[in-house]
Order: sequence, then C-alpha cells, then structure tokens
Amino acid sequence: MKFNKLMAAVAIATLSTTALTANAAANYADFPITVKDYAGDKTSSISYGGQIARHVLHTSLMSLSKTGNGEANPELLAKMQAYFSGKDTGRAIISPASKEGFGIAQTQVDELSKGKNLAGKTYQGAVAGWPGNKTAVEVLEFLIEKAASSDAGFDYINGMDYPQLISKFAMGAIFYNQAVDNYLDEKLAADVKPNNKPYKDGAAYTGKEHVWDEAFGYFGAPTNAASIDATDAYSIAKGKKEIFAKADLNGNGKIELDTEMLFAHAYYAAGADKSGKSNYLNSITQAFIDGRQIITDAKGEKLNDEQRKDLLEKANFIKTNWELVIAEAAFKYAGSVYSDALKLQAGIEANSDVKADFKNYIHHWGELKGFSMALQTGGKDLGGFAVKLNRLIGFSPVLLGNTQVTGIDDKGNYIQSSSLSLNEFALHMLKVQKALSDQYPLKARAKDQTAKLATMAEKLGSGNSTEND
Amino acid sequence: MQDFFTQYWSDLSSLFSNSQQRLYWGYLLCASIIAAIYSLHKSTSNFKNSLSTALGFPHWFSKSARADYLLILINKAIYLIFNPLLLGKLTVATLIFEGMHQLLGQRNIETNIPSWAIISLFTLFIFIFDDFARFYTHKIMHELPILWEFHKTHHSATNLTPLTVLRTHPVEGLLFAIRSAIVQGVSIGFFVFLFDDKVDLYTVLNVNIILFIFNIAGSNLRHSHISIHYYLCIEKVIISPAQHHIHHSTATRHFNKNYGAVLAIWDWLFKTLHHSEPQTQIQYGISKYQKDSEQGLTTLYLSAFANSYKIIRVTLARWLQRFLTKQNQRCK
Repeated sequence: MKFNKLMAAVAIATLSTTALTANAAANYADFPITVKDYAGDKTSSISYGGQIARHVLHTSLMSLSKTGNGEANPELLAKMQAYFSGKDTGRAIISPASKEGFGIAQTQVDELSKGKNLAGKTYQGAVAGWPGNKTAVEVLEFLIEKAASSDAGFDYINGMDYPQLISKFAMGAIFYNQAVDNYLDEKLAADVKPNNKPYKDGAAYTGKEHVWDEAFGYFGAPTNAASIDATDAYSIAKGKKEIFAKADLNGNGKIELDTEMLFAHAYYAAGADKSGKSNYLNSITQAFIDGRQIITDAKGEKLNDEQRKDLLEKANFIKTNWELVIAEAAFKYAGSVYSDALKLQAGIEANSDVKADFKNYIHHWGELKGFSMALQTGGKDLGGFAVKLNRLIGFSPVLLGNTQVTGIDDKGNYIQSSSLSLNEFALHMLKVQKALSDQYPLKARAKDQTAKLATMAEKLGSGNSTEND
Repeated sequence: MQDFFTQYWSDLSSLFSNSQQRLYWGYLLCASIIAAIYSLHKSTSNFKNSLSTALGFPHWFSKSARADYLLILINKAIYLIFNPLLLGKLTVATLIFEGMHQLLGQRNIETNIPSWAIISLFTLFIFIFDDFARFYTHKIMHELPILWEFHKTHHSATNLTPLTVLRTHPVEGLLFAIRSAIVQGVSIGFFVFLFDDKVDLYTVLNVNIILFIFNIAGSNLRHSHISIHYYLCIEKVIISPAQHHIHHSTATRHFNKNYGAVLAIWDWLFKTLHHSEPQTQIQYGISKYQKDSEQGLTTLYLSAFANSYKIIRVTLARWLQRFLTKQNQRCK
C-alpha cells in the first residue's frame, strides 16, 4: 500500500513536472525580484547562503572528527564544538579546500553567511536508534565528544567510526529534517511566510521565495544540477581536477561553493544515479526549479489555490525522492556490511590479519547506522519499520567476541553484551535490505545481496510449470 | 477488468510465442518435421499421404482434442487468478538462502572454481532436480487415490495432440506450479548461497540448453499419434514418445508405467519402466469402456471433487470404525 502511494506521488509529480518544464528555468539561478516596492540594489531574489554555510560547517566538522590521536583532546573538542554549536566569526572552511587543479573560491564560513551553526537547526525529537534516550542534538554532542578522543575517528573496541556516524546522521537530522519537516512542510502553509510580503524588511525576496530557496540550499546541489550528468556531479563533489572546467560555471577559475559544488544528499543522489537506474539528482533539482518558477510567476502576490496546489505537488515529489536517496544509501551500506562481515569471519577462521577488514566493516556500519537514523528524522512516523531497522542494525556492529553495544552508562561509557555471531549479523543485513526494499520503491539498489536470486528466478521463467506428462 | 483480459490474452498467446513453453511454434515445427520424416520412412504410400498422416488432422478435431482446447482456455483464467496467491520461487529461494546461512553458520563466496564449471553444474542440477520432481509428483498423482481423481482429467484424453500436454485439472495445475516454485527456488537459493554472482544458466532462446535439446528433438510427439520408439538401451535413459503412449494406454498391463518426463532412469530405478511395443495398437484413455460423454466439462472439472469427497468420506468412516473397534476391545 505504501509502495503504491509512493509510486502514485512520484508519477503525479513527474507528470506535472513535465507539463511545467516548458516555462521553467534551466538552472536554479537568476530568478528575478518580485517583492513589491523593493528599494535595494540586488538583481536576483535567490538566497540560500546560510544553508551552504551549514554545509561547510558539516564538512569541516567531519574533517576535524578524523584528527583525534586516541587520547582526550580538549582543544580538538572545543574546535569541533565551535563548528557544531558556535556562531563565532573567523571559522575557516576546512573542507572542501582548494587543491591543485581544483580551486575553491571561499575559505571562510563567514564569506557564505555569518553567525550560523548546526546545533540550532537540528531535529528536536528523540532518537530511538541511539542508546540513552537522547535528542538529536544530544546524540551529535555525544558523538563529537567521543570523536575528539578517538583514534583518527575510530573506536575499534566499540566498533565506531565517528566521522561517518556524525556526518550521515547530521545530514538527516539537520538538512533533511529542516527541508522536509519545516521549509517544505509547515512553512508552505498559506499564511506562513506569505508571498505578498518580503521575507523580512528590506529583503529582495518574498516569504515563499526564501522558504523554497532554503529547502533547495539544504539539498546541496549546484545550480545546474537539473541537467548535469551524475558521474560528472560525483566527480565535482570529489574535487577531481579533470572535471574542473565543467564545474566552473561562471568561468572565474574557482569553484563557488554556493552555486557550483555538491553537498550532502545531492552528492548521494548523484552516487545512486551513477548506476543509470535512477535519476534523483536531476529530477529533484528540476522539481525545485519548477516550484521556484511557480512562486516567481505569482509576481509578488499571494499564491492562489491552484498555484499552492502545484507547489505542494512539487514539494511532495522532492520529499518523497529525498527520502528515497537516503534509503538507497542505507540499502547500499547494508550490502557492504554484509560482505564485510562474511569476509571478516573468513579471515578470522583462516587466522589471517583482519585489521583492515575490521576497519572497513565498522566504517560501512557507521555509514549504514548514520543513514538509517537519518531516515527517521523526516518528521513522519515510520512505525514498525523504524523499530525493525534499529533492532537489526543495532547500537554497534557485532564485534569480534560476538558482543554488541547495548547501552550507555551514566558516565557516557558504552555497555557491551553478548550478542550474535558475525554470520547471523550478516543475515541481519540481508533483512535490512529486504525491509528497505519493502518500504521504499528503490531503483538503484547498489550492493543488492539478493539480486542474484531475483535475476535467476526471472531467467528460469515459469514456462513449463503447468505441463502434464 | 481490462488488465485481466490483456494479461489473459498475453498468457494465452505466449503459449505459442514463448520459447520456454512446450507449445512454442518452433518446437511444434520441429515435431512436425520429425513426424513427417518418420511417416515417410514407415509408409509405403506417397509423400502427400505421409505428410497427411504425420499432421493427423482427424485427431485435432476429435471430441477429446476439443475438450483439451476448452480446458486450456478456462484454466488460463483460473491460473491468472490463483497463481499469484501461491508460493513463489523467489520466496523459496530467499528462505533456502537464509536457512543455509543459519544452518552452516558461515558463507565463503570466494571460490576458485571456474565460472563455466559452476554454470554447467547449475544447468545440469536444475534439469535433473526438475525432472526427478516431475517424475515423483507424477507417480504420486497416480498412486494416491485422491490425487488420481484429479490426474484422471489428463488421462481421459482418447486422442493425443501436442496440446494434451496442457489438459490438466486446475487443482493439479496449481500443484505443479508449487512443485516448480520449490524446485527452482531450492536450486537458486542453494547455488547462489554457494557461488553468488557466478551462478548462471546455459540457455538457448532463454531456455535451459538441455530442455531446449529435448524440445527440438520432438518432445511434442509424446502427446501425438506418432509412436516413435528408441533402441531399448536408449529407452532405459530417455523416455521415447512411444513409451509415453504406453503410459496413456488403456491396457491393464500398461497401468502405472513410464512416469518420467525426459529421463527414463527414474522409472528404471523405481521399477516402473516399460519399453515401447512397436507392434501393439494402443488405445488411449482411462479404460476401454470410456464414453464420449466423459469429455464434457462437467465431468472433467467436477467429477474429481465429487470422487475425492467420496474417498475422504469412506476413509474417515473406516478410520472411525477401526478406532471404535479398538476402544471396544479395550473395554472388554
């Protein structure tokens, strides 16, 4: 039933996208000012610098979380906290940073927007997937504290890769949550941030224009992402110099972080689309462009019922597909953890050195865990599916002594208990993939561990099953 | 409703256009050519007469053959409704795959066995497993009185044409679909667990290469009036069309013989093998005294239920009587 509803939403939105494309802009750029009696000197109503500032706070925080030396490090902790909850000026953009053949225009967070932090925009609800009944802010603070004293981001005793946990969960709890549960949700209500008034006094954009821009900013796509090739987009996010000429849209010899770079889920959309089986990046960006065109076409007046209906359809399409992007990533990493667990067990049985295999295993589990918790921050009740996901994935991967983290004590130390075998945990990963594919109409299905079963079932056909001899 | 009819028509037409079906036009053509050559070889008359004998037009318009056609048309609609409710092969494959994980406690998918060997093994395994499952299901259909009531629909054919292969009571058809799901699901789950991405099938026109050879070698002649027989030593390994005709014979000595689909070795092992009898004129059907009225749809569809009900009632009554007798003996 859920699958049918999702497919219907996708189909309706796709049809309306096609219908509106004729009038829509090609890029998410250069939308004119429609605010009545605007007296400033700006020529474009586009503004989402604050969101890009938060993207670089996130990427910089992730970079910092990889620099621990395995001991308590108050200096590193303070620096990480400055990027998470601080608002001070003078914070450098640690990542993405310029490298040979791939120059970045901005070096300071303030160049994008001043006084921004991540903590203030983090999901307010409790996080069922993490021990300790914590809110999302508390979970991230806990992970940051642990990362500061970790061994280059890793805790091999408890199976944690903090940069992955922090990054993947933060992307959901901040960017995804803000976009789908705030800007594309309650802030699209008729009387909230109306289109016939500037967002704030003197602003070059209306209430609805800025609300929509902010949601687009959180998606993290460059302005040309409606038509960009997925592999090219992926290379841009990786900072590959071969793609620089294509990425430098304004030809100024540097990558502008607010218009020419991919961040967060836009990057994972491109990752899924590289398979050629999905088209999340182009289609989500196109829906953003089409929605923005609907608002622009209202020419600074309140949206009428038809315009609001069309806009909500675009919002619904974006929300549905954004959720699918996260689900695709979780599906992929469940497949990776499955292979890793089997490889690890084979290595243990062969008495070989499994350090590298173990590192890969907890790295991929960290990604899976982060994405699975992110899925639960979209403001909708996922019910039994979320419970199943959290139980199967656990609070840590199964460790080498067949134990797993089952809680946190009052001093913030992990509690481990005896658990499953690696093989049984691998089987859990298959169940995670099954649960995700039952819940969502996934297309890319990277690292699908049971795909071969379906392929062979299809290949054998059922031609001779009713023949009578 | 429109979707139903579209699917129905698609399923029906695929009987002749899909190479995975026994009635694929290419296999029918091969069977016709073999039949024509065989008739020409056997006959003393001219080519035209031999061809006419091979095609056997009177058989196609017999009352028995007309019943085949109606059964096929009606059954297609029944399968369309009920097949989606049955156990699917992907479900079975997933259960086996997960079951092996739990049972073996480990899975090492890195193997040095070359791909061609794994594909050959899978192609052979699924053919043999499927053929054995067909043999054994067939045997049970004959030997269990309740199931025989349903299988009788197939054996009530008094004229055999290639379409008789689908003359099946729908209950039997659904049992066959479950059998096929189990065989294919188990094979897929087992092999994918062991060899992962290396598993594949050697095919020709999307059909297991072994089955393809069986089909182009005249599989459709098993249900036909052309009694081609093989050398005795071959008939111990592969069932000839003439051996299958023995299976459809009304002669008592032929009852419950030659259950095999492709291989005869199962019959040989289970002592149900019967070689062809080239000199014997075989009459097809359930008994020599079968009436034409038994080709009616009411008999073909409903008598199995009525007779099964009688069997169940008699069996239960017998069990109850035995139970009461034992109780009385204890009381004494």
